[in-house]
Amino acid sequence: MNGKKIVLGVIGADVHAIGNKILAYAFEEAGFKVINLGVMVAQEEFIKAAIETGADAILVSSLYGHGELDCRGLREKCEESGIGDILLYVGGNLVVGKADFEDVKAKFLEMGFNKVYPPGTLPDVAISDLNEDLGVSDE
Amino acid sequence: MELKNKKLEDELFNSIRQDVLLQWSTGNDVDFDEAVAYHKEIPKHKVFSDKLIEAKEQGNTLIQPRAGVALVDKHIELLNYLVNEGEADLLPTTIDSYTRHNRYHEAEEGINESRKAGRSLLNGFPAVNHGISLCRKVNESVNVPVQVRHGTPDARLLTEVTIAGGFTSYEGGGISYNIPYSKNIPLDKTIYDWQYVDRLIGKYEEAGITINREPFGPLTGTLVPPCISHSVAIIESLLAAEQGVKNITVGYGQCGNLIQDIAAIRTLESLTEEYLHKFGYEDVVVTTVLHQWMGGFPQDESKAFGVISWGAATAALAGATKVIVKTPHEAMGVPTKEANASGIKATKQLVTMLRDQQMVSISDLKLEKDMIMAETRCIVDKTLELGDGDLAEGTIRAFQAGVIDIPFAPSRQNAGKVFPARDNTGAVRFLECAHLPFTQDIKSYHHDKMKERADYEKRDMSFQMVIDDIYAIGKGKLVGRPR
Repeated sequence: MNGKKIVLGVIGADVHAIGNKILAYAFEEAGFKVINLGVMVAQEEFIKAAIETGADAILVSSLYGHGELDCRGLREKCEESGIGDILLYVGGNLVVGKADFEDVKAKFLEMGFNKVYPPGTLPDVAISDLNEDLGVSDE
Repeated sequence: MELKNKKLEDELFNSIRQDVLLQWSTGNDVDFDEAVAYHKEIPKHKVFSDKLIEAKEQGNTLIQPRAGVALVDKHIELLNYLVNEGEADLLPTTIDSYTRHNRYHEAEEGINESRKAGRSLLNGFPAVNHGISLCRKVNESVNVPVQVRHGTPDARLLTEVTIAGGFTSYEGGGISYNIPYSKNIPLDKTIYDWQYVDRLIGKYEEAGITINREPFGPLTGTLVPPCISHSVAIIESLLAAEQGVKNITVGYGQCGNLIQDIAAIRTLESLTEEYLHKFGYEDVVVTTVLHQWMGGFPQDESKAFGVISWGAATAALAGATKVIVKTPHEAMGVPTKEANASGIKATKQLVTMLRDQQMVSISDLKLEKDMIMAETRCIVDKTLELGDGDLAEGTIRAFQAGVIDIPFAPSRQNAGKVFPARDNTGAVRFLECAHLPFTQDIKSYHHDKMKERADYEKRDMSFQMVIDDIYAIGKGKLVGRPR
């Protein structure tokens, strides 16, 4: 264990469960304490779980295209709740339709996310980023 | 609420109906007798069940995409494009995710935002918000049968509005639209709510209107062994038949090993018919659908076409009545209409080329069929036993006991103890059978198959295999060999 806690979940009305289960497994294997909220998680639930557990990061997945509608205002809600500095990562199929990932990334960075991942990203990439952002040394 | 697999009585049905139609303003417009009269005027070539029966008789495999956008005119444009440019035989109307969770206010907002943005911000067509007359406009604007495809645990109002709106086929079921599609909805509630849906379709049937019903075959869409999805399909078919449904399409999601997939489609049809006959439902027409690979796709469009074409070939060689197609944008999410049409055309090319070929009965195919039938009978028969002969009760207990256990499902009602993985030839087996009611012979068969792969790969049988398999097709392979 590396002593770091992350809140993990699939946002909105999205029920894509498989990637969520794999991420939970991979982050635990990598030494994180994972608070996995599963699918269909509201913004408020992410924030509540992060406050209750003193989490270091919130990792949001969205596969079904409504990510744009579902993620708006999450950073602002974190600020209002007193965890404005928490790391926010997001990944998946974030918008409806084929879009240039650079545009999608810019849109979500603008919304206050620290990292934005395209579909098909392996868990190792986010694990390595998180280790870096949280100052966890790779053994 | 006492859940029994018994036809809902009219008095109960009507009292539920009063509440259902009040769930959103468009429910007010539902008039059953008027809707029956409307359906009687729909020409035969636009009726789903007629087209399926014709395809079954002729041995054809029909092609159907998935598609749906927020605004009516854009949706009609999309559907016509998929027929005219894509050569689709059957059309869908895929419902957006807010409607699937009965969040009609959010769907309304999605419609308004889509109008403002000039593009669809919803991942499907919000049929309840649009209401009956706009649903009819969709059906009247296209020249092939259209099915409602969704993933709605409580689909009662959606059924009322869309069937009155002229759609002639309806996907879903109390298990297949709960366990893979929700987190926390009681299974007895969704089975009960789908008895209502099926009873409504039964009432149309009694009034002379056949609506095709399709339990959702692929479930979680990733590495689901045939016996699991077959068991759910058979149970949902029996539950639907009890409510008076007469035209059922059972489905299966392609796993990727040709022999296993052909064995799966053939046994799915024969086992469903066998159980329907066993319980006295003699006049139900059963057809099949193969869903092209539902798991993770390659990002590269040419590679994605490879996956799509393999699904098309499998559907044709298996003799599925229809095939649901993927698009080269699958890895990126909801596709453009051009990408959607290109997936249909690639599929059409394969299906048409292979129309006159069949997979002959070789011993491997026979063994695979025998295994699937034995496994499925273990699960369905145990489910009936757990319910003392009542299938609805038995299903609830079967999920509690892990006798039915759907891999990777998000629902808390699902045991989640079963893990599938590919064997050394890519067929999907059980790495962990957990509480599935299999005989020792069946358990040993799966263990031996997985051991064979582990030995070949010189590693232990472990969950890492499952993860490697889930990513494999996206990374250009079928079996997830060690990286």
